[in-house]
Amino acid sequence: MTIPVPPRPLTGTRDLAQPTGPSAIRVQDVHFGYGSRLVFSGLNLTVPEGQITAILGPSGSGKSTLIELMTGQKKALRGQIEVGDEEVGVLSRRALFRLRRRMGVLFQDGALFTDLSVFENVAFPVREHTRLAEALIHHLVLMKLEAVGLRGAHSLYPSQLSGGMARRVALARSIVLDPLIMFYDEPLVGLDPIAMGMILRLIVHLNRSLGITSLIVSHDVSEMLEVADWCYLIAEGCVQGAGPPASIREMKSPWVRQFVSGGAEGPVPFHYPSRNYADDLFGKVRSA
Amino acid sequence: MKRFYALIQPFLEFCGALGRRLHFLVTSLVLVPSALARPRQFIEQLFYVGSVSFILIAVGGLFVGLVLALQFYTALSRFGATSSLGGLVTLALLRELGPVLTALLFAGRAGTSLASELGLMRATRQIDAMEVMAVDPMRRVVAPRFLAGILAMPLLAAIFSAMGVLGAYLIGIKMMGLDPGVFWSSMRHEVRFHSDFVNGMIKSLIFGVACSLISLYEGYHARPTAEGVGQATTRSVVISSMAILALDFLLTSFMY
Repeated sequence: MTIPVPPRPLTGTRDLAQPTGPSAIRVQDVHFGYGSRLVFSGLNLTVPEGQITAILGPSGSGKSTLIELMTGQKKALRGQIEVGDEEVGVLSRRALFRLRRRMGVLFQDGALFTDLSVFENVAFPVREHTRLAEALIHHLVLMKLEAVGLRGAHSLYPSQLSGGMARRVALARSIVLDPLIMFYDEPLVGLDPIAMGMILRLIVHLNRSLGITSLIVSHDVSEMLEVADWCYLIAEGCVQGAGPPASIREMKSPWVRQFVSGGAEGPVPFHYPSRNYADDLFGKVRSA
Repeated sequence: MKRFYALIQPFLEFCGALGRRLHFLVTSLVLVPSALARPRQFIEQLFYVGSVSFILIAVGGLFVGLVLALQFYTALSRFGATSSLGGLVTLALLRELGPVLTALLFAGRAGTSLASELGLMRATRQIDAMEVMAVDPMRRVVAPRFLAGILAMPLLAAIFSAMGVLGAYLIGIKMMGLDPGVFWSSMRHEVRFHSDFVNGMIKSLIFGVACSLISLYEGYHARPTAEGVGQATTRSVVISSMAILALDFLLTSFMY
């Protein structure tokens, strides 16, 4: 497969800061694209073990795709992704499933099973992977639901839940088997401030109390800079900025400054490339 | 070279699509024992697949029996052979109409239900969620539904034929005044257990494999959009119907 020419990085990636200490995930020179559109062109990053790492970037920068690559749902065209000691791209399906049992993924929209109740949704991974007694499953599920504040909603069905509640049930489901690595795909999208604060506190609590390695993909910059131990800013197929939150705030890169401050002017264009506005308005009317 | 590739591309695409379906069939068949190992899920699916089609099949069978009896009675009365009505209707139902019409109705009701259910699971990322939870969706979702579809079809075909015979009974005996003894003895005399009943059930079983496979495949591989789920559902009915009719011709030419 031929790989299209990657866009020129806005900043170099060689001089970016790297986290110290043991790493849980290593991404090395990863290339990936959809058809002719290249999403990653030589992505390099390291996720430190036992810490909260935030992957920040504008919409369409490939943040969710990165989780899919790390969990083996998609395969990189080139490069390596190592989770622990295992290279995800070359694992057999059986080995990949073994690896995934150590992972938890919180999907953007929850991805709850609509034909199962809240209780059964959370119990699902336990029933599939263990032979625990029903009484023990009952205790375990209620403990996890209590942690997300939804023990009282255990008999409801996903269609009866609000977006925030569904996200919390999905979080309970993803942590029910106590994973070593948690992936959060846009965990704050569409949440009210109370639910947002609650989810953030849960993420931090899980990380601090259980030592889980947490990777959060988000474009909520201010919230992520509050909770993360390490941040990566990705765009244009590679890392544009990396470091602890304090250093991200201080970075001089115009791209990083525009993204962190949410400015309309800067190297990140708001408008999709188009021809002259006046030509479009007053030029020859073309059929759609 | 480009022109040559353009010429053979449809053929290559056809081979690819066929290969993917065969792979899906083999995987589903291999996973059938795992579905039997989880009897609760399988029985739930059998109940669901059977119950959604039951009324349609029962009413359909009754009306087909009524119409067949009316048509055959008119034709047979020209030759003074109305005493053969019971046997003739039963033969038509057991050999052809029962299996084929049941399969067509099943494809339109249970098949679309299976395809849209799986398509929606794909669109709402429930299948992805299973994958990342290290749960094989083929084993957990597809295999129980596949087995349920295969086993439901002969049961539904038997119900269809039984209701058809009931319809013929109502027309022949209650409406046209045929002797009940003649009606039932004609049926016993004409119908052979192996060549008629068993072959009909074998046909149903094969239609069950085809219908379930096509519906599940289309749903499982649906594009994760509202339009994609709709298209997958439509494709499942169209392909299932054509497959049933083509398979019926093949099976009939081998069996009879």
